[in-house]
Amino acid sequence: MDVLHHIFVDPFVQMAQAPDLLVQTLWEGLVGGILYALIALGFVLIFKASGVFNFAQGIMVVFAALTLVGLHEKGVPAYLALALTILVMFGLAFSVERLMLRPLVNQPDIILFMATFGLTYFLIGLGELIFGGEPKVMIASELGLPKGSIDLNMLGGFISLQKIDIAATIIASVMVVSLAVFFQKTRIGRALRAVADSHKAALSVGISLEQIWVIVWFTAGIVALATGIMWGARSEVSFALQIIALKALPVLILGGFTSIPGAIVGGLIIGIGEKLGEFYWGPLLGSGIESWLAYFIALLFLLFRPQGLFGERIIERI
Amino acid sequence: MGAHAPADADTFPKLLIHNARIRGARPAIRHKDLGIWQTWTWAQVLDEVRAFSVGLEELGVKRGDTIAIIGSNKPRLYWAMCAAQAIGAVPVPIYADSVADEMAYVLDHAEVKIAIAENQEQVDKLLSVSDKLPKLAHIVYDEPRGLRDYDHARLTWIDQVQKNGRDALKDPERLRRWERSVADTRGGDLAIILYTSGTTGRPKGVMLTHENVLISARNGNLFDQLGENEEVIAYLPIAWVGDHIFSYAQSYVAGFCVNCPEAGETVVEDRREIGTTYAFAPPRIYENLLTLTMVRMEDAGALKRRMFHFFIDFARKWGEKILNGEKVPLWARLVYKIGDFLVYAPLKNRFGLSKIRVGYTAGEAIGPEIFRFYRALGVNLKQLYGQTEASVYITAQPDGEIYADTVGKPNIDVDVKIDDSGEVLFKSPGVFQGYYKDPEKTAETKTPDGWVRTGDAGFFDPKTGHLKIIDRAKDVGRLNDGTLFAPKYIENKLKFYPNIKEAVAYGDKRDYVTVMLNIDLVAVGSWAERNNIIYGSYQELAGHPRVYEMIEKHVDEVNRSLVEEGPMAGAQIRRFLILHKELDADDGELTRTQKVRRGFIAERYQPLVTALYDGSKEADISTEVTFEDGRKGVISARVAIRDLTPIPVRKPAMEKAA
Amino acid sequence: MRAPSESDIAAGEVLLAVENVSLSFGGVKAIRDVSFDIRKGEIRAIIGPNGAGKTSMLNVINGFYTPQEGRITFRGQTRNKMRPHDAAAGGIARTFQNVALFRGMTALDNIMAGRSLKMHRGLFWQLIRFGPAMAEEVEHRLRVEEIIDFLHIQHIRKVPVGRLPYGLQKRVELGRALAMEPDLLLLDEPMAGMNLEEKEDMSRFVLDVNQHYGTTIALIEHDMGVVMDLSDRVVVLDYGQKIADGTPDEVKKNQAVIDAYLGVAH
Repeated sequence: MDVLHHIFVDPFVQMAQAPDLLVQTLWEGLVGGILYALIALGFVLIFKASGVFNFAQGIMVVFAALTLVGLHEKGVPAYLALALTILVMFGLAFSVERLMLRPLVNQPDIILFMATFGLTYFLIGLGELIFGGEPKVMIASELGLPKGSIDLNMLGGFISLQKIDIAATIIASVMVVSLAVFFQKTRIGRALRAVADSHKAALSVGISLEQIWVIVWFTAGIVALATGIMWGARSEVSFALQIIALKALPVLILGGFTSIPGAIVGGLIIGIGEKLGEFYWGPLLGSGIESWLAYFIALLFLLFRPQGLFGERIIERI
Repeated sequence: MGAHAPADADTFPKLLIHNARIRGARPAIRHKDLGIWQTWTWAQVLDEVRAFSVGLEELGVKRGDTIAIIGSNKPRLYWAMCAAQAIGAVPVPIYADSVADEMAYVLDHAEVKIAIAENQEQVDKLLSVSDKLPKLAHIVYDEPRGLRDYDHARLTWIDQVQKNGRDALKDPERLRRWERSVADTRGGDLAIILYTSGTTGRPKGVMLTHENVLISARNGNLFDQLGENEEVIAYLPIAWVGDHIFSYAQSYVAGFCVNCPEAGETVVEDRREIGTTYAFAPPRIYENLLTLTMVRMEDAGALKRRMFHFFIDFARKWGEKILNGEKVPLWARLVYKIGDFLVYAPLKNRFGLSKIRVGYTAGEAIGPEIFRFYRALGVNLKQLYGQTEASVYITAQPDGEIYADTVGKPNIDVDVKIDDSGEVLFKSPGVFQGYYKDPEKTAETKTPDGWVRTGDAGFFDPKTGHLKIIDRAKDVGRLNDGTLFAPKYIENKLKFYPNIKEAVAYGDKRDYVTVMLNIDLVAVGSWAERNNIIYGSYQELAGHPRVYEMIEKHVDEVNRSLVEEGPMAGAQIRRFLILHKELDADDGELTRTQKVRRGFIAERYQPLVTALYDGSKEADISTEVTFEDGRKGVISARVAIRDLTPIPVRKPAMEKAA
Repeated sequence: MRAPSESDIAAGEVLLAVENVSLSFGGVKAIRDVSFDIRKGEIRAIIGPNGAGKTSMLNVINGFYTPQEGRITFRGQTRNKMRPHDAAAGGIARTFQNVALFRGMTALDNIMAGRSLKMHRGLFWQLIRFGPAMAEEVEHRLRVEEIIDFLHIQHIRKVPVGRLPYGLQKRVELGRALAMEPDLLLLDEPMAGMNLEEKEDMSRFVLDVNQHYGTTIALIEHDMGVVMDLSDRVVVLDYGQKIADGTPDEVKKNQAVIDAYLGVAH
């Protein structure tokens, strides 16, 4: 009985008693969620357009951040480093299409999936070789990102908002909206969706799959760079960061592998759920909670909606 | 409210000139083309009509000539009406879905000299019968697609006609001559001939003068306070008097804008974009909208569905009272507001009825459930009773006096009386001049002192003072035991179920009542899908035992309601069957306005009718069907017949006492 | 543009020719040494029993399959294989036997996608979306609206095609192919699975496209009535081989064709 009380009653009492803490927790969950959403977005983009589950999305985040910081360390000015990193991500997308996707075209999905494993280890190796393996500090202030925090006096307490988090929220929102407009309203966006729907139909109207793949991987690379900058600014830039890719999996389960709104909403749910769980239930269930709670939320959700939040309902006629 | 037209503007061309002068910059007509709404102001319409009119004269049209107009609701076809009227010619609009032979009859009877056709389809039909029509001198068409390679000796594009007109109008004398010809038109001149698709016999040409149409339209506008700010959508057949009044006459009189949809299938979407304020539709349209919504709701998520049903039920309880301005508790108003936000407003928006001020249903009885549904949502849906011979208006429901089972009070300037046999007669400024070239029929319908027989049986409800129509006067019959049998009354009760699309009742001079039914493929098909019933065709679904079971329940409920209504209790349905094919206007089973032709169906399905009365459990039938291209085929089927247990009639209290 | 008469076609310029094409998958020979040509302005039917290699032939023509042997000459240019992009860019559009649409996209977007090759503004302008890219979008939308009007599909403009009934999907697919303004239109069983009324509509569209846009059409069709009504010339395949080639009347009388359809043993 006592245990049930601790699980089902106490945390809510705490929430009600200290609304300022609740809001603070929600905010932190929201920011975390946005970053999860961005990673999931990278996955979804590539999965939709080429049917490849890109295991390397996590390491692309690290690689992008590492390149940025590494270039700056080698004396390149911050903004120029940013521009160069974007160029590097384009080079990466181009090489992936030429050297990995094109030779493997028409191979089973699992082969392509394995190939992204290879890509992961290649990028780890390449990153270490060029920039070294030790953790680095993100050049947040050099890039003009704000520091410090805003303290709000409300709800009978203080709520502290990190300015970098606010910036991250804004940048992420702008990015998502621009992507949505790009997808819905432009020729290339339409071509991307076309390729996602039917390869042969896309080919028949003269859409070049190669070009689309480059664009998609490049877009995913840019998303990875943005994620890397923001995540790096909150902690540090190291290869350990790649495990956040594992956080994207429950987000994808929740949101569906093919839905961009799903990735965003799923990311927010996981982010907020995780922080709430960690803060209110964590003391009760032990400290490891953040490593499995996301999966727990996703599984719970799957019981009720197997197709995910926005995934298409799949009806198999027998 | 816009200024009303002066008394000297007593014809439509005069009204057009008047409108171009006082509201020249206001929109008169719109048409959605290539995905964009194109608008013409009154001044522009005058310019187009004038050019068209003079162009027609160049083609040889003279005063008194008849001009056929065939097609769907397109600006240039409406302009054709006024263009003809301006030079004293008489427009004869024709149903666009008529087959070539029907068209030939009307063209021949009306002695049409020039036909204005919408597109290749109509031109093809005209050409296929042109050798039977020596008087038809020329065809003018609106859409050139597919017609480029046709012989243009007797064929001209409207653009060319208008261009000829514009060229001629460069001569100022020609312009003055046109203006004089407009000034010469008189209110008492014949304005239009509308052919009615009668349930029996050949169509009759109803002759209406400018005054008939114009005064009726003006009174209609007054009755509902319609002004120049209304928006209507024109989508009903232009040959139908309703469309002529609503989309032409009332617009010219009040100066409001008429919107022509992009295609027949886009009407709902187009109506939503425009936000019509005044609407007119036969019950079928409202039924279809509702059926589609209900089907879609069945496929929606559980939460959405529950919310929908909760608020719809709530609206059924309170919505009409709020609309009628009755006293309603505050909490109910509040819940209704929430419902409006969550359900009613989105629904009305989907129907394109968000801005509706006045909506009419007419043509036949609307299901009380359907009628109340729209009223409950806050749509001011009203009933109207009219006829071509009356220039539409006979009776209508005034705001705030709405009943599902009446057709309202006599309109402004209309007198209504009921004769001894129960038939409804009227007298009004809209009374037609006569049937074209048919004095005999005219005399049958118009009494010497000016009353018109409607052919409908009805009575004034003593409680409300409203007119109630029960059936066609000639269709009301009696069973062998003397019980009153009003077939349409029973059919309508059946058709109020979304699963039943059409019903045909028999019983006159018989021992009991039987019905033949059509199921609604959309509603029953979706039900079948939800219940894992597999079917390959309409015929298979219609004959499915589980469909029969479901329909049997509906029929049984109708019997129960007949019993409750007293005098009809003896006319319960004893046997029914579901037809293996949909009744179709192309096969002559329905009229062009989609009314069942009971007598014709009885002949065509003779073996089935016999089986209904000889106790058989099933019967074989094969029928010839006509495809759209005129080819014929045969459908055969074995149709099952079901019996119903009669509901015992409760003994009236008087007998119990005895 | 005027529809070409029969004598025009007989003397007509060859738009596309396949010569001695053979195609096999592993050990299975789908096409064996087939040659025929398609002349400018004609409607060319490819018929044959199931498994005769008709769809494979279309796939060779628009570059989906690479034949092991043979040559394809399109507009006077001869090559051993066609690439899908070259085919599309060169003016070959096609529809598919079982409809291959972009199911998640609206009918409008599907047809717009057909104009991919006609739109040239690069990624940069696309990202900015205003200025030249916007003007380009509007210009192409107008062409697409004309096609929508032509095919009478205004009412489904904004409906995701996955939700449309099959007959309308076929129409949208034709619309997408037309949006490419092709010189050669390949139709793979355009009327399969349609009811009588839909078939007649589709036949009318095919004829209109041929007559008014002057588009050359190659179509595979099973309904012999349709083939005889529509086509100027017919090539008949059976077990991957050409067994007849000529006008509908000639082909109808050909003994090999009659045997193939009646299933005489080989």
